[in-house]
Amino acid sequence: MDLSPGSALIAQAHRVDLTWNTAIVWALWLVVGFVGIFPGIVAYMVWLERKAAGRFQDRVGPNRVGPFGLLQPIADAVKLIVKENIVPRHADGLLHLLAPVLVLVSAFLSLAVVPFAVGLMPIDPPSGLLYLIAVSSISPLGIFLAGWSSRNKYSLIGAMRAVAQLVSYEIPQVLATIPVVLWAGSLSLATIFEHQARFGWNVFAPPGLLAFAIFAIAGAAEVNRAPFDIPEAESEIIAGYHTEYAGMRFGLFFLAEYLGVFVIACVTTVLFLGGGMPLPFSPFPTNLIDGSIRRYVLVDAILLAVFLFKVLLFVLAMYWVRATLPRLRVDRLMNFAWKYLVPLCLLDILLAALWFEIVVRPGRVSAGRWTAGMVVTGLLVWASVRFVFWVNRKLAAAGPIDADWPVVGAAREGVETDEGGGIIAREVGTTWPGLYSS
Amino acid sequence: MARLVFLLIAGLGLLAALGTILSRDLVRAALYLAAFFFCVACLFVTLEAEFLAVVQVLIYVGAVAILLMFGIMLTRDAAGGSADLSGAWRVPGLLAGLCVFVVLAFGIHNAVSPSGKGPWSGIVARPALEPSDGVAWKAERVRAIDDMPRVVGEQFMTRYALTFELAGLLLTAALVGAVVLVREDSPPTPDEPADAASTEPEPAVAATR
Repeated sequence: MDLSPGSALIAQAHRVDLTWNTAIVWALWLVVGFVGIFPGIVAYMVWLERKAAGRFQDRVGPNRVGPFGLLQPIADAVKLIVKENIVPRHADGLLHLLAPVLVLVSAFLSLAVVPFAVGLMPIDPPSGLLYLIAVSSISPLGIFLAGWSSRNKYSLIGAMRAVAQLVSYEIPQVLATIPVVLWAGSLSLATIFEHQARFGWNVFAPPGLLAFAIFAIAGAAEVNRAPFDIPEAESEIIAGYHTEYAGMRFGLFFLAEYLGVFVIACVTTVLFLGGGMPLPFSPFPTNLIDGSIRRYVLVDAILLAVFLFKVLLFVLAMYWVRATLPRLRVDRLMNFAWKYLVPLCLLDILLAALWFEIVVRPGRVSAGRWTAGMVVTGLLVWASVRFVFWVNRKLAAAGPIDADWPVVGAAREGVETDEGGGIIAREVGTTWPGLYSS
Repeated sequence: MARLVFLLIAGLGLLAALGTILSRDLVRAALYLAAFFFCVACLFVTLEAEFLAVVQVLIYVGAVAILLMFGIMLTRDAAGGSADLSGAWRVPGLLAGLCVFVVLAFGIHNAVSPSGKGPWSGIVARPALEPSDGVAWKAERVRAIDDMPRVVGEQFMTRYALTFELAGLLLTAALVGAVVLVREDSPPTPDEPADAASTEPEPAVAATR
C-alpha cells in the first residue's frame, strides 16, 4: 500500500530538493501554522483547561468575556503583551531574555515533524522521532537558564528540580518509543503512521499499551503537568523557575508549556493511537486516495478531524489527571522514574520483540497470529508489571520504616538512629542538600 | 548559496568557540559551548547527515550541556555568581586541549575521502537527487539519506566495532566511578567513639531550637 500521495500533491518524501515549491510550502507552514494556528490552539487550550478545571471544582470557569468566556484568551493575551516587563536588578539580562526563547523554540521545533494528515506535515526527515527527542531536550537548558539567570533561590530550586525531573523522565519516554520504532522499522513518523494502518493501532498490542501508558506518564512529566509539576509548585517555591518573569516573557513560558502539552498529545496520537485513523484495524480513509484532488482533500479532512479529536481527548485526560491527583514529592518522583518506569520499559522492549516475531514479521496481520500474540504478550506484560511492583514493594519493606523520607547529606546531622538503623527522630526534613547553604 | 550557508554557520561556530574560551563566566562559557555544538549540528545538516545532526543535538546540547550546568551548579556557589575560572588548571588544560587537537588533526588528515582525492583538496560537487547517469555513488547517497540510522548502525557493528566497544567500556567505567564517588559511607554505629563524639553535641543544639 502506498500511502504517500507522492506525485502531484504536496510530496511527503524524505528527500526534498530546495525548489520554489518547497520554499512556499515551508513559508506557509511557518506563517500560517507556527505563527497563527498553533498559538491560537494554545490560547483555546488554556480556555478549555480553565473551563474543565472549573467543572471539576464545581465552578463555572471564565464566563464574563464574550459568550462562554470565549474571548477570555484574547483578553489574556492583550494583558500579557501590554504588561510591564520587569527584570530583577541582579539578573543576567541576556540569559534572562534567552531562556524563555529557548524553551519556546524547543516546543515549536517539535511540532515540525508531526504528521497531522497525509501530506500535511511540515517536514518528514527519515529520523523524525529522534529529531523530536533531540529538540525537546533543548528545553531543560532554557529552564535551567531561566532559574539560574534570575538570581533568586526559588527560581534556582525550581530549575534544579525541573532539570532533574526532565532528564530523568526523558529516559523512560525515549525507551517507550522503542517498541513502536521496532515494529515500524523506521524512525519516520509518517512510516509509523503507515505501519499502524496495516497492523492496527500500536495501543492495541499489549506491549504497545504498556509503552503508551509509560509514554503518557513520562510525557506529562516532561511538560511539567500535574502531578509532576514540582518544578513550578506554586505552594512550595512560588512558580519555580519563572518566579522572576513578568509580562510577555512569562507569556512565552506559558505558551511553551501548553505547546508542550499539545505536542505530547499529538505525538502520542501518532505513535500509539493510530494518527487520524478512525477505525483501529482498517486503513479506512487512506485507501480512498486515488490521485484526484477532491478525494485527497476529503481524506485529509477526515484524518485531520479524527486526529484533532484524539488530541482533544488526550488533553482532556491530562486536565482530568491534573484536577484529580496531588503533587508528587521530589524523591518519590525520582523513585517512580528510575525504579518503576525504566525497568518496565526494558522489559517492555523484550516483549515488543516477541510481538514483532509473532505478529509483525509474517508481514500481514491475521486473526490467529494476532490472538496468539495478544494472549502470550498480554500475560507477559501483566506478569512483568506485577513483578516490577512486587520487587519494589519488597525493597521498600526491607528498609526501615520511613527510609524513603528525604534525609540525605545536609539533613543527616539532624537524624538519630536507633540500634536497628531505623530513624526515630528527624530535625531537618529537606531535600536537595547544598541549595540552602548558599 | 550552499557555500554562503556554510560560511555563515562556520563563522558563527568559530565565534561561539572563541566565546567559550574567552568568557570569564562559567555558565556563559558552557552556553557558548552549547551554541558551538549546535553549529556543528547545522554543518551536519548541510552535509545531508541529518541523523548525525539530530544525534549531535540530542547528546551534546541535550545531555552534555545540561551535565555541564549541573556540574557548575553543584560545585560552585551558583546563586552568588562567583563562577569564575581558576587559573591553577590552565596549563594542564592547555596541554590536554593541544593533545585533542593533534589527535583530531591527525585523524582528519588521514581520513578517507569518497572520491579518492586527498582529504584537503577542494570542493566536491554533489549530484542532484533526480535520476541522472554518470554518477557512481548516487545510489549510496540516496540510501545514506533515507536510511542513515541503519547505515550508521551497520558501520558501528562492523567497521568501528572496536571503537564502539571501547566507548561503551569507558562509559561503564565512568558510571561505576560516579557511583563509587557519591556512595554514602555506611551509617555510624553507636559503639564507635569517634562517631559518638561527633554526634554528641547535636541533640543539645536540637534541644535549644
